[in-house]
Amino acid sequence: MLLIGGLLFLLLAIVLAAAVMLGAERLPLFDLSEQQRSILYDIRLPRILLGACVGASLAVAGAGLQSLLRNPLAEPYLLGVSNGAALGTMLAFVFFQSLEITRPLLAFAGAGLATVAVYRMAKSRAGMNVERLVLSGVIVTTFLSSVIVMLTTLLDAAKLRSFTFWLLGDLSQATVNGVYLSFGAVIIGTIILMSQARALNLMMVGERDAFDFGVEVGRVRMLVFGASSLVVGAAVAASGSVGYVGLIVPHLVRLIVGSDNRLVVPFSAVAGAIFVVFADTIARTAIAPRELPVGAVTALIGAPLFIYLLRRN
Amino acid sequence: MRREPPRQPKRLPPLLRKEGSLWIAVALTTLMLLSACGGAKNAGNSATPVPMRVVTDDLGRAVTIPVKVTRVVSLAPNLTENIFAVGAGDRLVGVTTFCNYPEQAKAIAKIGDTMTPNMESIIALKPDVVFVSTASQIEAFMKTLEANGIAVYVTNPTGTVDVMRNLKALGEIFDTQKVSDDLIANLTQRINAVANLTGPLASHRERPTKVFIQISKEPLFTIGNKSHLNEWLFNAGGQSVTENVDTAYPKLSKETASALNPEVIILSESDDNKEPNDAFKNSPAVKNGRVYKVNADLLSRPGPRLVDALEQIAKDLHPEKFK
Repeated sequence: MLLIGGLLFLLLAIVLAAAVMLGAERLPLFDLSEQQRSILYDIRLPRILLGACVGASLAVAGAGLQSLLRNPLAEPYLLGVSNGAALGTMLAFVFFQSLEITRPLLAFAGAGLATVAVYRMAKSRAGMNVERLVLSGVIVTTFLSSVIVMLTTLLDAAKLRSFTFWLLGDLSQATVNGVYLSFGAVIIGTIILMSQARALNLMMVGERDAFDFGVEVGRVRMLVFGASSLVVGAAVAASGSVGYVGLIVPHLVRLIVGSDNRLVVPFSAVAGAIFVVFADTIARTAIAPRELPVGAVTALIGAPLFIYLLRRN
Repeated sequence: MRREPPRQPKRLPPLLRKEGSLWIAVALTTLMLLSACGGAKNAGNSATPVPMRVVTDDLGRAVTIPVKVTRVVSLAPNLTENIFAVGAGDRLVGVTTFCNYPEQAKAIAKIGDTMTPNMESIIALKPDVVFVSTASQIEAFMKTLEANGIAVYVTNPTGTVDVMRNLKALGEIFDTQKVSDDLIANLTQRINAVANLTGPLASHRERPTKVFIQISKEPLFTIGNKSHLNEWLFNAGGQSVTENVDTAYPKLSKETASALNPEVIILSESDDNKEPNDAFKNSPAVKNGRVYKVNADLLSRPGPRLVDALEQIAKDLHPEKFK
């Protein structure tokens, strides 16, 4: 495990270093001019760090939700949690344009509400099965999507343009404050999820069994939902809906380290950061000086990878 | 004693019975439809045939329109402006929700927006011609209108040359050539006046003033060489710093934006585009306070007002030459 952990951190270091060196503008390694320093410190670095935080956030949320709901398809994007956060951010944008802090707050609220809604719909007296959960997720996702589409239609054309781009996942609006906020959220969220890792391991067997082992099921559920909403809210408010990270990263990690959540959660955080920073480096450089939305790149990599994983298992 | 026979409902004539009412509805509808069709045919064929003529639209299609065009619908805000400019605004019976200029355009019936116009509203207005710049699924859209006997004229002017051609064509369609010719002469004279001060209108030479046109602040959108504003800016005496980007409206890397060092930034002014992106904070443009705003409608709607914007920006770029 130590070896795998070490390798993962090495990979993160390599990807971060490559991301710092690559970009639309070519920067020398030493002796940067004032302008080049500004490009590096004001534009490139915040964006890379934000990408790392967003990737870690989405991946730990996916790992936590999958274990809690005993469902390999549980993922912020598929469950409508991302869309809930997106709608919250949009409402904040429309009604409190000048107050930027309202965006992550409403995103968090939206993510939380969507999570609870999906959970309530999926849970029946007979318990919760895979089909009900996925179905509820799809319903909440499509419902929220249509509300978002209605809102963008009602907004004027200029705002619509920035939102359609943002909805696809876009890290270009990274700011230093945004990085602090996402970093804080992902640290808190990961710590909460790791504190519940042992309980989550037991709950993967079944809620009743976990209860028999003395796990306070309701409390665990609340903490995991809360932590997921926190990290997804922060990630979406900063970068829109970046898909597939929460789905494929925990799967890949489990393939390597097994299903012990004490390992899956932290390893997912690192692997998620690697994935998004890698994808965003492509988004920044592939058609430079133009840019792709990072969500398009993660989906382009994530969808085939997920199909491969599906066929393997 | 005779037992009373069970009461039978009075038999109504077939058409008034319950199941009959459906038939009445069907029959009436058919009758109405038939008479409507017949009416349209009569108007076209017999008593007084409307004299028709053929014009060619920007797609090169032959479009048959009445000699006297009296009712038209415009599906683009710049076409609405151009129709008003050639003195035919009173013949517009339908415009889009985007059409807010001139003031009179606001009072005209709305038929939806440019991308998703409402077919039923358009047909109900019984226009002679519908002016279309673009629409989602424009092929199907055109077919449906033409199947309903409404001529579709496709035109999507972009640069100033296009605008002049469009104004001339509109003058011919509405038979207001006097107005359109005068307008074209006036616009041409104003463009030349600007050119006399800023230098010849050749696209090969370099302009000394390096300009960045910011279309939106976040995400950062600008113009590439496929945008009509590239040439427009050149005519105003500036050179776009993004003219080697091979598209119309690219989302630009902020790193590149920061490295471009524009001397002037022009904001296409709208709600979310009132100041330069932070990437420009160290640019000469921001340091020297050379950030100018132009109403986004003027830049995004190729029409006579493009020349207003040209004059404004030429003055901003070269204040010393416009004294």
